[in-house]
Amino acid sequence: MKKYIILYRESIRIAFAAASTYRADFILQSVIIILSNILFPLMTWLIYGAGASFEGWTLYQVLLIQSVFTMSMGVSSMLFTGIVWSTMEHVREGTLEIILIKPVDCMGYLLAATFSIENIGVVFGGAVLFGVALFHLPVPNLFLWFQFLFLFLLGVLVMLGINLLMAATSFKWVANSRIPELYQSVLRFGNYPQKIFSKSIQAITSFLIPVAMVGFFPAAALLQKTDSKMYIAVLPCILFAWVGIALYKYMIRQYEGVGG
Amino acid sequence: MKKVLHYYNVAKEVALVTYKEWSAYRTHSMISIIVGPVYFLVQYFIWTAVYGGKETLNGMELQQMLRYFGASALIGYLTMDFADWNLQMLVRTGKFVTFQLRPVHHRFFALSQKLGHRVLGLLVEFIPCFFIFHFIFHINMVPEYIGWTVLSVLLAFFMNFYVNYCIGLTAFWLVQSSGIRSVFQALASVFSGGLIPLVFFPKYMQKLLFFLPFQYILYVPSRVFSGSYSLAGISMKIWQIVLLQGVAVVITMLLSEILYRKSLKKFTAAGG
Repeated sequence: MKKYIILYRESIRIAFAAASTYRADFILQSVIIILSNILFPLMTWLIYGAGASFEGWTLYQVLLIQSVFTMSMGVSSMLFTGIVWSTMEHVREGTLEIILIKPVDCMGYLLAATFSIENIGVVFGGAVLFGVALFHLPVPNLFLWFQFLFLFLLGVLVMLGINLLMAATSFKWVANSRIPELYQSVLRFGNYPQKIFSKSIQAITSFLIPVAMVGFFPAAALLQKTDSKMYIAVLPCILFAWVGIALYKYMIRQYEGVGG
Repeated sequence: MKKVLHYYNVAKEVALVTYKEWSAYRTHSMISIIVGPVYFLVQYFIWTAVYGGKETLNGMELQQMLRYFGASALIGYLTMDFADWNLQMLVRTGKFVTFQLRPVHHRFFALSQKLGHRVLGLLVEFIPCFFIFHFIFHINMVPEYIGWTVLSVLLAFFMNFYVNYCIGLTAFWLVQSSGIRSVFQALASVFSGGLIPLVFFPKYMQKLLFFLPFQYILYVPSRVFSGSYSLAGISMKIWQIVLLQGVAVVITMLLSEILYRKSLKKFTAAGG
């Protein structure tokens, strides 16, 4: 374990060093990433600006969901998304052997080595939006904050699972750069109050591919809009992450190194 | 006439080769068959909830709104373009020099490539998604005026290409133009009307959008599809907005030619 902590610490240090060397590129990339991540809040703002609303939800309540979603995306993009592109590239080139001969776990190494500092802007942007939304809402008590934190971490776990599933898919579906789109399309369901979706979709987004945990559930906890579904979804979230890890490791074992 | 025939043959051959080349990666495009309907499903639930008991929002009824999103998804498959990426890659690597040796304008070559690529898009993205939207989601995906819609989509096809080509040309000055590309794409995704119809934007922004290229890429053909057009409180007849779109395309094409000529003076063929 200590080995991986050192590895991760070194990767973060390198990422910061690279960002400070290419400062202009880092700033530009961060701004672009923030811009493309505030699209959903912008859409919500325009909908409410037109005098419409999601029934039972105020503008700031919906923005709170979307800010939590943005923060969760930011954290997962920093920590996990790099493994998708890196795996895709290594499988296409047939160069994953270079990683496999290293005296560390392949998945752990790639997660650490692809730490992406650019996405810190998304976390920051999401946090600002979160602060603005919360400023217009009743102050949550300590218990609600604990609930929020617990569910937020579970959401990050779901994102780990999603990213590993994407990376695992790239072993079989070689060089398909649109694989992330496939998963990201489903993620959109986590960005809105779940009540607007049909019962069957709610069941899928809560228990099968628990994307509701990425944005909606943690925000609902802060807003005291909890229901039993949230707590039942804890187990599927853990299972989902486990499936992602297990499938990725299985695909590494199946890897034949022929490229594509 | 001989010259026209020559251009036709060049376009046909380049388009055919591009079509064959991308057919090998057709599953890339086929991902749209899943992604498109999933995105549409999200929009369906969002707007059904937003309308609630309301008849209209900003002059659009729920069915019109759903048709708008269905049409914009389908039109996106026909007009999708990455000429900017191709061009900046050629400039950055110095490979653009090979096009200086060929007896064909690079922009025409790139346009022919796009034609072949989008024929593939028509077959593996547009047609399957059309049937899914029309027969599974029961959204009427037949345009109000087929002729005007085809013309408007064709103009949007050219508009998207010329605008992207201009963005790609910035690589002659910047070498690495990926930042400009990303900023432009982020702006286009908002101001072309793909995220939300432009009538939801503040009035001053709607007025400004008449002078920017974005609405002519997606919003205009999507509204022509549904048979009515309005923006910034200005309603236009279909032929009027298609004419305006045509004028915008011609201006952008001329701009791309001016930029192209200036770009060549900057070209060193050394890559970067």
